[in-house]
Parts: sequence; structure tokens; C-alpha cells
Amino acid sequence: MMSKTFYKLSVIFLIISFGCSKDEVEGPLLNEIFGNFQLNSSFIISNNSPDFSNSNELVKFHCDFNKSIEWKISILGLESGSLKEISGFSNLIDSNQINWNGNTSQVPFFKKELCAVELSFLNEVDTLRDTINILETKVYDGIVVADFENGIPQEAIVFHQFSMNMTFDISNDDPLEGNNYFKMGGRMGWNEWFLGSLDIPLDLASVNTPATDFYINLGVLSGINGETASDQFINILVSESTYPFNDDLSNNASDVFQDTMEVYKYQIRPVDWYGWKMISLSYDQFEVKSSGGNNLREPKNITAIKIQCQSCPGANANCPENMGIDVRTDVDFLILTQGSDLLSQ
Amino acid sequence: MMKKYRSLLLLVLYIVLPNLYFSQKSDKIWIDGLGRSFFSSDAQINEEDTISASNISSGYNLIDLNTHINPFETIEIFGQVRIKNEFGSFFGSGTQIDIRQLRASGIIKNKVKFSVGDLFLKQNKFTLYNYDEELNFFENNYNSSYKEIVDYENFYFENRWRLQGIQTNFSYKFDRFIRTLEFDLFTTRPRGSSQINSGLNTSISDMLISGGSMVSKLNKSFTAELNYVLLKELPATGTVERAIRNPVYQMGINYNNKSENSIINHKLQAGFSERNWSYKSVDDSTSELNKGMFAEFSSSYFKIDSTFSLNLGYRYVDPNFRSSGAQTRRIEMNETNVGSIYSLYSNDYLVRPISVFDIVTDPNIYNQNISGTLMSFDPIFSNALPYGDATPNRQGIFLDGKYNSKNKILNINFKTSYFNEVIGQGTTQKRNFFTILQSSNINLKEIFNHTKEFDLSFSTMNQITSREGDSLERVNLNSQHFNLLIEKEILSKLFLQLSLKRFESAGNEYINKRNEYGEIFTFQSLNITRVDNLYCYGIKYKYRENVYINLQYNLWNSNFNNSNYPDLNFQRFLFIFSIKL
Repeated sequence: MMSKTFYKLSVIFLIISFGCSKDEVEGPLLNEIFGNFQLNSSFIISNNSPDFSNSNELVKFHCDFNKSIEWKISILGLESGSLKEISGFSNLIDSNQINWNGNTSQVPFFKKELCAVELSFLNEVDTLRDTINILETKVYDGIVVADFENGIPQEAIVFHQFSMNMTFDISNDDPLEGNNYFKMGGRMGWNEWFLGSLDIPLDLASVNTPATDFYINLGVLSGINGETASDQFINILVSESTYPFNDDLSNNASDVFQDTMEVYKYQIRPVDWYGWKMISLSYDQFEVKSSGGNNLREPKNITAIKIQCQSCPGANANCPENMGIDVRTDVDFLILTQGSDLLSQ
Repeated sequence: MMKKYRSLLLLVLYIVLPNLYFSQKSDKIWIDGLGRSFFSSDAQINEEDTISASNISSGYNLIDLNTHINPFETIEIFGQVRIKNEFGSFFGSGTQIDIRQLRASGIIKNKVKFSVGDLFLKQNKFTLYNYDEELNFFENNYNSSYKEIVDYENFYFENRWRLQGIQTNFSYKFDRFIRTLEFDLFTTRPRGSSQINSGLNTSISDMLISGGSMVSKLNKSFTAELNYVLLKELPATGTVERAIRNPVYQMGINYNNKSENSIINHKLQAGFSERNWSYKSVDDSTSELNKGMFAEFSSSYFKIDSTFSLNLGYRYVDPNFRSSGAQTRRIEMNETNVGSIYSLYSNDYLVRPISVFDIVTDPNIYNQNISGTLMSFDPIFSNALPYGDATPNRQGIFLDGKYNSKNKILNINFKTSYFNEVIGQGTTQKRNFFTILQSSNINLKEIFNHTKEFDLSFSTMNQITSREGDSLERVNLNSQHFNLLIEKEILSKLFLQLSLKRFESAGNEYINKRNEYGEIFTFQSLNITRVDNLYCYGIKYKYRENVYINLQYNLWNSNFNNSNYPDLNFQRFLFIFSIKL
């Protein structure tokens, strides 16, 4: 009796098993990896004349191909030289997800200008081209601390050593944003790292963002005739001290960055590039310089920021090569942003 | 310095104290073990490689002392201490003393057996089973000296996994409805929590494997079995965010019909598995859930005098069937697992791919840890069933058999199978796998009426993988493996040995690349024409079956027929003195 049941069970099992074949695929399709690349549609740009001053205005992109591939959309400002790159790995550029709001991947910022747009694919010769004419540029959201358009910010204090070719002043020959920027540089004639600084008072009481989401963005210009001084760098000091900003008028600097006060520091070192570069730092990356407070890095308590220019001295043989070149760590567009860094907006 | 003296003191105590005890209570302590001297001298004979050392040698002496202490008749405490001295080191420097195994076992009330410590566990072939490595079939003795070392060093014993934990088993006998009911339960920790990054203070979690078996003899002919295994990580014991969980269930029924000369056996079994990852930071969240089943039916015929047996069956294993305990491989075939000798070769410092020689001789490329995801394999060596019978995404038939002549002159084993994929990989087209292998031993001593041993053994394996379709989908890979061993006793207990192993693989295939969840994310295209040869000549003096001296000269090469990979040519002189008590 039991053996008959066993055989019946076995027959049922075999029938079920033979019927188990499925028409599914495990893993990505071979054609997507090894197949020849083909475009299934043209490259579509939703808006060729965007007005990015309207924060809702987006330029959307669409294209689809026969396999997943690394693609890249490059938008190059023909006047500014600004470049925006959007890349991905897929078989579809979906206009619901892939768009541009007028920001840049790499400063300088876009101007009201004609842009060349290019869609390219890794290891494929196919490249699709178009143009976009920017009617109005994007307005970045943030607290502008210093754009130097009207000179040095009110109550700010500039100090520099009195040595060779010191440039701690407003200039308009090569601004990052607007018409002016602040030059910080020169050449030290004695064994001294510190060239000068710019101290700016701040009132951020209305800010409620935590340090991880609070960004300090600063454009930095470096390089003279294709060269940079050895080991030139910028110190950014942030004070949360409640001591009066300029209590002592005799010392050529603010009074809120002393060793007994709550001060945080970040060092941009080295500054060894040519041209402008936007540096964005979340406040939590700052180290404790002097623990005169609670060491919590609370943006709402920031009362001042100091931008220091420093360099390895040429005198006394520390960096003798610096005796023949000026330090240059010029700055522009110091802006505080919340939620994301400036270029990610 | 103090540590050195402490080790020395422990060693002395370990050796002396049991002997003192032994002298008085010899029935309560007994010692066995293994001693081995191993020396190899390898030389590369590749003309185009002018950077690698032309000759390297290494070796060691080791003693594994197994102490069995029986304080009572029903209790045994077992400890294995290894003393190992690498050649070129002096006493106290380069000498390692390790506790290699510890286990306590016993019987409670003459009913319940238990073991605590190092356990060797095996269940069903779909739940917990340590499958043989590639190129090894029918427990051959083609390179037995090497094979013994590989298995011993990696604790490979009867296809069991060595795990640390606790095990118990007990049984009941009944006089009505069913005859017997046997239980076996275990819980083990194959991996403890350990630090990943000291700077970030991160650590991986404990991994546990627990399970149980229940076998019942229902009547004279029928036996039923249930097996369950659960692999689980305990997220609270580490800082890693995700934790795997992989339960596997198996049930089977066995029918035995014994006649005067033969036994007919039918076995039907099926089961299913689940695998997912849970996340610490999100309550009750799981991801990458895989659910799969398997089923197998087989019928066997055995002659009671063991001269003939045949087994025929059909198996289906779902593409999503995941069983960590049964699918973990002995060898991970990836770029990071490299051979011990000449791991880099040629003037371009290329990583030397695992060769037939490494598989046969190198215990260090083998794995002893259970893996929660499918490990990588090389299709040229094992494409049909890289994870043994538990290989997912397979369905097909298998047939194997054995013939032993009554006059003990001829012994033949064979296996053949035809499987195909349940679903395609990267395409809807499915691969087909045809495998046939046989092994024959001929006792020439009986044929030629010699007084001394004289054996000839040879085996062949042929595995063909094919897939139809367009030029991208098409797969055609043919691997062949041939072994030959001639062993002749030239003087009493002194054997002359000659063995040859040749492996050839030609064709094209795609190698699966899996992500951290074991899912295929891409394929690597493979076009191959590869030949590996291993020639061994030597003499073996056998004091007893497990006590021998073996001297060998090995010549081996790998020809890749690829301008990017220069061919390999190496030779080895080998000395092994092995004593197993």
C-alpha cells in the first residue's frame, strides 16, 4: 500500500518538476554588455532658451539606446568657459530625472551666453550635439558674506605684513562673480609664514541647520603666469566667541579668534591650482583650534570668519624658490549655504 | 620573551603530565596523532621570466598530538596540539605551538550523545555538505600524498564541515506505528565577531549555523527524513549594518526493497530555502529576498556482493535556491586566491591563475569557512555542478554506477549526467551541460600472477557546455581531464610510482560576476584554449598503510595559448615523511 503511494508521489513530483521551466533571465542581458551600441531616439532638449533666474526653470534631456552604457552630457559656456557635466550608466536618459537648473560643475559660473551641449558615450564614437542659449543666469541660494562688489564688507578688518608686492585689496581684473574680487598675496622678505588676513563679522542667529548641512563656500584664485608659490595655503577660522568683534582697535585684527575662545579651523593646503576653484566645506569638517567653548560647531553661534593667507617663507632657505614668485590666494564670493554645497544646488 | 618560556612550559606540561597519568591509569588516557616532514624545492623553467627566483624551497616538520582523556567510560575529552617548525628556523624562533582541535563528548544516561567544541558536521546534500573540490572524483589515489595533506590541513573529512559548537543526538524505538525515531541537533558559530577596521572601530557580526535532523524508520522498507539548517548573522554582535538569514528545509522518503541478491532503493526528496538580509537601522526591513526549492528522485540497484551498482535519477534545483551550508565551495576561484608558490610570474608580474597543480597540491588555496553567498568558480574546471548537487538553476538526469569483478582484477566507476539551466543567464537561451567520467583500476598483480603489488589506474572526464543562440549568446566549452597512475612494488614495501594528469579546455564561456548579495551584475567573456599537465615520478616506501616516505619529482605546466599570459613551466622535488598513528 505504502509503496504504491510512494510511486504515485514520485510520478507527481516528476510531472511538477518537468513543468518548472521558466522564461526568465538571471543577470543583465548579454546584449546590454557586449552588444553593438545603437541609438533608439534622437537627443531631445526640452528648452533651448532657459531663464534660470526663475528657480523652477529646468532644461530636461531625453535619449534612449539599445544597451546600458556610461553616458555623459557636457554643457560648455562659450563665453565664460563654465562647464556642467551630467553622467550616468543606463540605457535611457529619462527627462523626468535628468535635467539642468543652470548650475555648474566647475567655476567660473555661467553667464548669459550661448552654450555648446554634447552627449557622448564611453568607448563609442557616437556624439550628439546641440546648443542652449541662457537668457538669465541662476541665482544661488545662500547667505552672501562677501562678494566684494561694494568693496570690503562693513566692519571687516584687513591686515597684511608690510613686505614685497602685498596685494590685500579689491581688484576687478579677473573676478569670479560680479565685477570685483579680493586679492590676497605678496612676497615675504623675512622668515614668516603669515602674509595677511581678512576678518569678517557675522550674525547667523536665524540659522537652524546642523554643522553637517551647513557649508562655507569660497572661490579661490591661484597661479601667476602658470606658476604657484610652493606650499601656499589658506586657513579659514570660524569663531563662535561672544566677545566683541573689534574690541581692541590697536591690534589690526578682530579679537574673537584668540586661543582662549571657541574657534574652529580648516586649512586649504596646498593652494596649487591655476585659475578659480570653488571650495565648499561642511562646518563639521572644521577642527577645534582652541577649545574655549563646547566644541559642538553650532552654525547659529558663528560670530566671525577669518581668511588667512600663508605660505612657506622664501627667506632663510625654507622654500628658497619662493623668493622668485609672489604668493597668490585671491578670494571671491564667500557664501554660506544650507542643505547642500553651492555647486550642488 | 616571557611568552616564549610560557609556551615552552605549556608544551612540557602537555607532554609530561599525560604520560605521568598514563603510567598509572593507562585505560583513561591514550594518545595518537600525526607527524609529518615536508620539503619541496620548486624551480621555474620559463625562459621569458628573468625576474622571478629560479628556485625556491620550503618545508616544515610538524607533530599533531591527539590526547584522548576518558575520566569516565561515557566521557571523552579530546585535544589536538600542533607543534610546527618551519625549515630554516631554530627552536623557539619560528616554532609554532597551536591548539588545533578541542572537543568534549559523552553520553548521558546511555541515551543522549553530545559533543562540545570542534565538530565535523554533515547533513543532507542540499542542507549541509562539504562537496569535493573540482577534478576530484571517486576518491582516487592519483596524487594521494598531496591529497591527504590538503584534506587533513583543511579538516575535510567525509564531506563534513568543521564547525565549532555543540551537537547532540538521541533516538527512540517503538513497537507500533513506526520503528525508530532519531534526532540530531546542533548549533555552531563558524565565524566570530572580528574587527574590520581598527581606526573606525568597525567589526563584522557573529555568524551562527544551527540545525536539526529527524530520521524515522517507518517500517521494514520505508525511511523518512527531515533536515533543517539555519545560517544567521547576529547584527548586535558587530557594527555592520546588514545581517544575512538563510533557512533551508529538506524532507525525503526512502524505499528499500531487499531481495536475496540485491537491494533496490528509491529516494524522493524535496525542500526549499529562503535568504534575505535585514538591516539594523530600519526595523523589520529585509532586502534581496530569494526563495527557491529543489526536488530529486533517484532509484538505485545494488548487488549485495558489491560487484555491481547503478543509480539513476532526476533533479531540479530552482535558480533562487540558496543553501550556504551546501553551496559553499572548497576553492574560491577569484583573483585574490592565488597559489603559495610563484603567485606572481613573468617579467610583467602577472598574477598566476590557479592551475591543476595548485588544486592538487596546495592546501592554502582551500576554504574552511561557510559563505552566505555563492562563491566564484572557474567554468573550465567545473561548469555543470560547481556547487555540487545543490547547484542552483539546474534540472536534468544523472546516472552513475560501479562494477567490481569477482576476481578483484577490475574495478570501474562511472558517472554521467545531462543538465540544463532552468532560466538563462543574460539571455533567455539556456545552457546544456553533458558530463561523463569514469575511473578504472586494474590489478595487474592478479593478471600477471606477481607476488608484489602492481596496479594500473586511469580515469577520464569530459564535460561539454553548450548554449544555442546568436553570436553573443552562443556558448561552447569542452573540458577534458585524463589521469593515469602506475604503481609497482619493486622491493618489499617499496613502490615505484608514475602518474600523469592532463587537463584540456577549449571554447568560449561567460564567467558570472556577483555582487555582495550574490546577484549577477555582469559577465566576463572567456575565450580559452588551455592545457595543464602534471607529471609525477617517484618512489614510496610504505612501512604501513599510514606510515610512509615519499620522494617525488613533479613536472608541471599550463599553456594558455594567449599572448597576454605567458605559459607556465615549473618543476618540483618533493619529500614527504608521514606517520599517522
